[in-house]
Amino acid sequence: MPINHWSRFGLLLGLLLVSACSPDAPPPSSVQRVDGHLDAQGLLSYDPSDYHETRQGTPGGTLRVSAALDTGTFDVHSSYHGNVQWLARIVYDCLLYQDENGKISPWLAKSWDVSPDGKTYTFHLRDDVTFSDGEKFNAEALRVNLEHMRDPATKSPLAAAYIAPYVDGRIIDDYTFEAHLREPYSPFLYVLAQSWLSMVSPKQIREAPKSIAEHPIGSGPFVLQSYTREQGATFTRRADYHWAPPVTRHIGPAYLDRIELSIVPEAMTRYSTLQSKRSDFTLDAPAQNTAAMRASQNLVVRNRIRMASPYRSLTFNTLRFPFDDVRVRKAVAQAIDRDGLAWIAGFGEFLPKSDYLAVNTPFYDPAYRDVLKYDVDAANRQLDEAGWTARDAEGYRVKNGRRLSAHLLGFESPPFPSSVAVAVQADAKKVGMQFIIEMMPLAQLTDRRTAGNYDAIGGGYWHTNTPDGLYILYHSDSRASPTKSGNNLSNLSDPRLDQLLSAARRSHDPRELQALYSAAQQRLTEVVPAVPDFESQVLIAYRTAVKGLIFDTVHNTPFFISVWLDQEAP
Amino acid sequence: MKRLAARLLAGVGVLWGAATLTFVAIHFSAGDPVLAILGGPDAIPTPQQLAQVREEYGFDQPLWVQYGRYVGRIAQGDFGESYRLRIPVTEAIGKQIGATLQLALSAALLAIGLALASAVLTAKRNPWVRRVASASELVLSSSPSFVLGILLLLVFSFQWPVLPPAGSNGWQTLILPTIALALPIAGMLSQVLRQELEDILEQPFIAMARARGLSQTAVRLRHALRHALVPLVTLSGFIFASLLGGAVVTEMLFARQGIGRMMLDAAVAKDAPVVLGITLLAALVYVVVNLLVDVLNGLIDPRVKPR
Repeated sequence: MPINHWSRFGLLLGLLLVSACSPDAPPPSSVQRVDGHLDAQGLLSYDPSDYHETRQGTPGGTLRVSAALDTGTFDVHSSYHGNVQWLARIVYDCLLYQDENGKISPWLAKSWDVSPDGKTYTFHLRDDVTFSDGEKFNAEALRVNLEHMRDPATKSPLAAAYIAPYVDGRIIDDYTFEAHLREPYSPFLYVLAQSWLSMVSPKQIREAPKSIAEHPIGSGPFVLQSYTREQGATFTRRADYHWAPPVTRHIGPAYLDRIELSIVPEAMTRYSTLQSKRSDFTLDAPAQNTAAMRASQNLVVRNRIRMASPYRSLTFNTLRFPFDDVRVRKAVAQAIDRDGLAWIAGFGEFLPKSDYLAVNTPFYDPAYRDVLKYDVDAANRQLDEAGWTARDAEGYRVKNGRRLSAHLLGFESPPFPSSVAVAVQADAKKVGMQFIIEMMPLAQLTDRRTAGNYDAIGGGYWHTNTPDGLYILYHSDSRASPTKSGNNLSNLSDPRLDQLLSAARRSHDPRELQALYSAAQQRLTEVVPAVPDFESQVLIAYRTAVKGLIFDTVHNTPFFISVWLDQEAP
Repeated sequence: MKRLAARLLAGVGVLWGAATLTFVAIHFSAGDPVLAILGGPDAIPTPQQLAQVREEYGFDQPLWVQYGRYVGRIAQGDFGESYRLRIPVTEAIGKQIGATLQLALSAALLAIGLALASAVLTAKRNPWVRRVASASELVLSSSPSFVLGILLLLVFSFQWPVLPPAGSNGWQTLILPTIALALPIAGMLSQVLRQELEDILEQPFIAMARARGLSQTAVRLRHALRHALVPLVTLSGFIFASLLGGAVVTEMLFARQGIGRMMLDAAVAKDAPVVLGITLLAALVYVVVNLLVDVLNGLIDPRVKPR
């Protein structure tokens, strides 16, 4: 799930100031900066206590939170904004959750069965859940929610696609719901755990769907008190809440009385308000300030990785010269120094990456992590073998009178700031390849993208809680066409990869899934549709007085249910 | 009366022109509105959703039909619904305009106040005082609001935390953005005002007034200033434009709500109805300001009485 509205000058202004004092020390290993433990095999494991409450907190108090961007709406079904990940958890609940190991676990559904043909899902629901308007959560509420997600009037950019195989549902009794799918689709349970598919009051959906945007009614631990766009929101605790996901081990209502959320686009201001105790918590800690925050006695920095696709430095258009030749794609991948890119963009916070799944995604296989690693000699060999042996006056490789040159399109965003674009250009030049950078407004880039008019596009990522993110990015079904949008920017159409990813959608057997997804990850390093550069990371920071923070197992973002304030702390 | 009616009619013409230009600009700028409505380039709407939205919003119609509908709706006061926020544009703007007005008004007052004070105090005074004043005005008028804003933040919020760096609730949050927005305008205005004032102080009627025994200050305040106000009023168009342009940057920098910030978000997301709504609002204010300037000029300077 991408965040797209980042070309803000708030950020630029911040960087303007910071660039004058950016550290020029040699990059220390970012491994120590990432939460969790990265073992020698390349597998990341988080402490299980990151996901559940370890001791009871003290109720009371107001948590003052800052975030860089406003989602613009609380109707999460109609949104694809990245902030929905943590925002929706404040006012809404989901049907399902995940455990510490990524397995699907109960929330508003106590249990579920999947038919042998993988097309019928039966959900057994909790019978003690109410929305804040008094409506009961039941099978009808679930049905109404699924309908709202795919209702054309909702204009859902994400939720509708995630449940696209859903045909219809049957209410077996008040608390049993049967969902019928068009075809087997094993990611179904996973997507139902995502914040964009949260449960909204069925009464509100029926009677005033437009009001969800500003006055959402959910069954979550807090109730929205007030919301001013681009400014912030206040939430108050719901005293009768007692249905937090069992995995969180939290019982009863939230500890905090209130959450005050402020939207602060300026990075410098988010940092300084935290430092001066004007706020307690920031969901978008500026990477350039993390060194100072880590050095501070009163602040804690957390660095979490988003599951599924890491940030890409660029995606090749595999239909166009020169990237229709896989050897050229592979050479570019090997020519790009990811350690350097990660340092430029993350000030030592980001983890460099050469393979296609985030390290904490279920079924991630680290076996192929070094296949495309930075190796200038190998890159040069690849290009020589591909026949690019001659050089022109400027030092670029030439074949049949044509220079090895391509346009790299991009727009200013966290995965692809201009600094990264320029570094990619410089790295490619070292192996005799020319990149002509074209940074442009998002709308213009979208047009070029829709028209298929590009050699390579910089940036991009996709966050989801299943390796099915690979299907969304690299399956031939996900290519865009005049009537269909798609996120397979590489236009890759590889029968072997397609077969693996399709088979994974049909399977529920963990061993089979591991085999399929491992093979898919291996295949991707052979067909090289894109060049991953570093993990997509969430940096948050808070005062030490903030206790009991746990992370959402689905999105790896903060879950405020168990947070409390230590009033005695400095 | 007839003149007023003519001016009003011209105002409507200006609004219609602005609406048309914006419509054309948005239509021919990059980006598919259907994608903007369905969440942007990375969203994954289904083909049915795409077709449905195209039809619902009439994007499948010829351009002139779309234009006709658009003008028709605006004439009835219907500005449509924001693609991004999914609420009526009038409501979206209504919720943000208060904060912008507050900021613009206080910045305008501060800018005019500073300019008047500086002009009256320094015109035709000791050359050193004059030089220092005009040098600082030059620096201020050529400093963009965001540079001033960052400096103000660094000094008064971060180094010496006396004023809040962000937000738009309470008068404290208004102080820094007001100063950042007002100073460049004040610098520019006081240059013009001093020049004007100095020209006027050369006039024979000033010598007459002094000869009647009026003090230097009384002459400046009672006689010269009134004449110097004419260019100030005429410049209100410039003041207004600077305020609106500056508001975008200032609201971003100080995390204030307001239509400046909203305009930027809308433009990035290609939220055409909001962009159109704010453009028309700006055009409307411009027309009204110019009407008022005409009337005011007549009151201040009887020579420009309407014929």
